[in-house]
Amino acid sequence: MQNLLKILQRYSNFLVFIALEVAAFLLISLNSAYPRSSILSTANNAIAWQYEQISNISGYFGLRHQNELLAKENAALRNQISSMQLSPHTDTIRYESAKVVQMTTNRLHNYLTINRGSKDGLQKGQGVRNEEGVVGIVRTVGRNYSVVMPIINTQTNLSCRFTKNDYIGTLQWDGKDNRFAQLADVTTHMVVNPGDTIVTSGLSPVFPEGIPVGIVESSTLKEGESYHSIRVRLHTNFKRLKYVEVVQNANQQEQEELTDGLD
Amino acid sequence: MDWTKQIGRYVVVMLLQVLLFDQLQLLGICHPYIYILCLLMMPITLPHSVDMIIGAVAGLIMDIFCNSLGIHMASCILIMFIRPYLIGSIVNDKDRLNEQISLHAIGLEALLKYVIILVLLHHLTLFSLAAWSWHHIGFVLLETIVSSAITIAVIIGYNILRYK
Repeated sequence: MQNLLKILQRYSNFLVFIALEVAAFLLISLNSAYPRSSILSTANNAIAWQYEQISNISGYFGLRHQNELLAKENAALRNQISSMQLSPHTDTIRYESAKVVQMTTNRLHNYLTINRGSKDGLQKGQGVRNEEGVVGIVRTVGRNYSVVMPIINTQTNLSCRFTKNDYIGTLQWDGKDNRFAQLADVTTHMVVNPGDTIVTSGLSPVFPEGIPVGIVESSTLKEGESYHSIRVRLHTNFKRLKYVEVVQNANQQEQEELTDGLD
Repeated sequence: MDWTKQIGRYVVVMLLQVLLFDQLQLLGICHPYIYILCLLMMPITLPHSVDMIIGAVAGLIMDIFCNSLGIHMASCILIMFIRPYLIGSIVNDKDRLNEQISLHAIGLEALLKYVIILVLLHHLTLFSLAAWSWHHIGFVLLETIVSSAITIAVIIGYNILRYK
């Protein structure tokens, strides 16, 4: 017994080291599981608030660009009203506008923090877009702030389709350039040309159908492979992202429960 | 240097980290984590286990800022574990160890060895954990070398400015 205590005492530092590392790895594994704590992320009130103060100051530097985007969007909306080309989903979907208070674009796992939370009706899994196109999916919801996983995160998958023939593919990101993403799962019997337009498929309740995603930049076909490697130029300019809209689909929960029941 | 000064330095370094060094854009391979300056420059006067707990807390705080729960924590605990053994093997003059680690106390050669080894170890662990697959190994190594070079330059520069 005394020997055991001596050994424990002798290796106590090593045991503390092991215990702390185990705790760290537990946190890492928690992090990859889907629902995670809003306190231990930038959805944390105190941390998001600091980032918001910083973005309030830096926000003045992009006003001209934001004005141009808003003017363009106004024009597009007027056109839509005049031709009354509203999508069939319109009555169940509303948009909640939000400001980006923090964002990274230079890592493998990028995230952005927005100043809307559960008090504004946000829930995890809701889609996020801006006036240019798709941005990402809400991942962690705090009371006043939320963390969004953008399409420029190597963990994101987004179902998309070609406007020209309705073929479906999955949008992924390789972690390299925040202006380009890759479209997977497009079989070789389809002809892909640079300039083809990609939009959201509407197959999942996260995004309604037809939100702009990007344009095919290049497409290569490797010998012996059954899928195209397609490089997509994204419409959304992540480095200048300031304001976004959260897609709140009233039927999302029902739709997800139905598909979950199938597994 | 007393502990209020240590904490003051930590706050300033964290502000620089979040406002300046986290915003660097260089092909997505340049992510220097200069906040470990505070861990590396802490005097070795506390018990080893307390040192590691301080490392864990500093790592966890950085993780919260990065939305990357656990990876900074794991890397910081590792360097705080290795630190006293490393300094013991680099610095022969044992009675200087109760002082803090600085250019003045241990000399340029030992300081360079100490900083380079620990920064490389920290950044390599961190980026490997972040990528979490062998698929990105080339990218991780490149990221480690580029980012470590900047972190090392900042830490050595800080020491030279301070003890000139």
